[in-house]
Amino acid sequence: MLTLTVDFARRFARNRAALVGFVLVVVVIGVAVAAPWMFPRNPLRIVGRPEIWPFVNPRYPLGTDSLGRDIAAMIAYGARTTLLIGLCASLTATIIGITVGATAAYFGGWVDEVLMRFTELFQTIPNLIFVLTIVSILGQKIEYVTIAVGIVSWNPIARLTRAEFLSLRDREFVQACRAMGMGNLRIMFGEILPNALPPVIVLSSLVIAGAVLFESAVSFLGLGDPNVSSWGRLIGDGRTLIRTSWYICAVPGVAIMLTVLALNLVGDGLNDALNPKLRDR
Amino acid sequence: MRRIVLRRLAQIIPLVFAVIVLNFVLIHLAPGSLFDVMTSEQQITDPSMLDQLRHTYGVDQPTWVQLVKYIWSVMRLDLGFSYRQNAPVLDVIMDQLPATLILMLSATAIALLVGVTAGVLASIRVNSIWDNLISLGAVFFFAAPSFWLGIMMTVLFAVKLGWFPVGGMRTIGTDNGAFADALDVMHHLVLPATALGLFYAATYARVMRASMLEVLRLDFVRTARAKGLSSTRVTLAHVMRNALFPVITLLGLQLGTILGGSVVIEAVFSWPGIGSLLFDSIMSRNFPMVLGVLVLGSLLVAVANAAVDLLYLRLDPRIRPR
Repeated sequence: MLTLTVDFARRFARNRAALVGFVLVVVVIGVAVAAPWMFPRNPLRIVGRPEIWPFVNPRYPLGTDSLGRDIAAMIAYGARTTLLIGLCASLTATIIGITVGATAAYFGGWVDEVLMRFTELFQTIPNLIFVLTIVSILGQKIEYVTIAVGIVSWNPIARLTRAEFLSLRDREFVQACRAMGMGNLRIMFGEILPNALPPVIVLSSLVIAGAVLFESAVSFLGLGDPNVSSWGRLIGDGRTLIRTSWYICAVPGVAIMLTVLALNLVGDGLNDALNPKLRDR
Repeated sequence: MRRIVLRRLAQIIPLVFAVIVLNFVLIHLAPGSLFDVMTSEQQITDPSMLDQLRHTYGVDQPTWVQLVKYIWSVMRLDLGFSYRQNAPVLDVIMDQLPATLILMLSATAIALLVGVTAGVLASIRVNSIWDNLISLGAVFFFAAPSFWLGIMMTVLFAVKLGWFPVGGMRTIGTDNGAFADALDVMHHLVLPATALGLFYAATYARVMRASMLEVLRLDFVRTARAKGLSSTRVTLAHVMRNALFPVITLLGLQLGTILGGSVVIEAVFSWPGIGSLLFDSIMSRNFPMVLGVLVLGSLLVAVANAAVDLLYLRLDPRIRPR
């Protein structure tokens, strides 16, 4: 196991872009974790003169917004929201996706047919419109945004899990399990799933990136949770001031872009490192 | 062939049916009665009107009767009535739909043009500076939120340089005939369509590059070269044509996302399409309109998906049935 891990790390590190992404992700996580120490007071509190440009006053390295709130503090706390929603939404999507995909492939026949039509349904509904509808009906709470984003993101995971399960379900080890009288659930999740998991994990990491973009769009439109600081909301708030203080929009956008970029690079790196076809190229 | 087209179109029906049922479930998920929210938000207090509405929405009947009624009314294209615009939901959406379609089509065109060109360039000069620059650009545009890109482009090209208008679809108070009007709309369209299209351009560039490299290795390309065809001709007529298939597949899969993306872009550029309509309706809690946009949006994607599938059938003789 240890050699496997070392081997994996070496392969991952050979991809320089993935390494850059990994470092960036660590930085974002670090900022999110350290936010309460770096900025012990409420980030939505007014600290100084409004619209101070970045790099002008060393106390507010990223400047202040239209109300005089510290942008650096809001960015740091926004990292927590972003990562939390991204992770939870991706987890939701992964759980739904694996359950649907695994059930469809394992049982086949009409179960497969019904579940794949169901998957198709969620591919047809315009995803952002669906998220906005759910949030507007259920209410602007961070939980609802997370669940809504998860509900529109499980589609590719279900398809991938199904494909993996289809290639595994008739293998000898599965037949052996059946011959031993193992139950369906135990075979599906105890025996087949561990073998199907690596590519699914890669996709889940990419779903986090997508979820971050979704969340930013929802809070940009002003439909996110008003009680948490969020990068998307910051951009939305700064929009009216683009003629004078466009940096208020620019800074959080860069934060979103770097985070999504880093997550994508790590996902690609994981894919290369786990994909047996590209091994030892 | 005709039977296949009909069968593919028939597959849309159960899908739309399912969307309607899902809509119904959403209505019933709402905390409290959606009917109460609707009537109070629209400030309807007249008892006779309330009764009529109660009858229209069938809130006094069992759930399954309500479901059947709801399905029946949507089947007759009755998506309800919007008291805000004082018009049927369908009419309001149909009024705004063309603007959204123009935006979506232009964004898709830009995405295809930029993405395919960049992908082809990168693939014929693998590992060159061009390839690296294109890959870098693709990585960035794939990560940038389109609404943010839109705002930044507005700052640069509209506010600082003044080349393009900040928002809207037409210059107010001008009437110089159809041609001038079309030019005016195109002028307003450049920034929103580009902001929306660049994300997809990044995706297509990556897919196109990989697909080109895949096809370039195939035997028929060597045959074409051996026949003495020029390398431009081989690249364009033989390789590119075959390498386009994954891009078309992706395009079909992403139509729903593009429609969703245009909602945000419309909000950024005050583009008067169904995105703006949806946003206003959410803000004013005009639920019949919100659900109407969801149903029609899904129908649009379902039809477009079918169209892409049929296009595929036409382009790729291998999957064409005999």
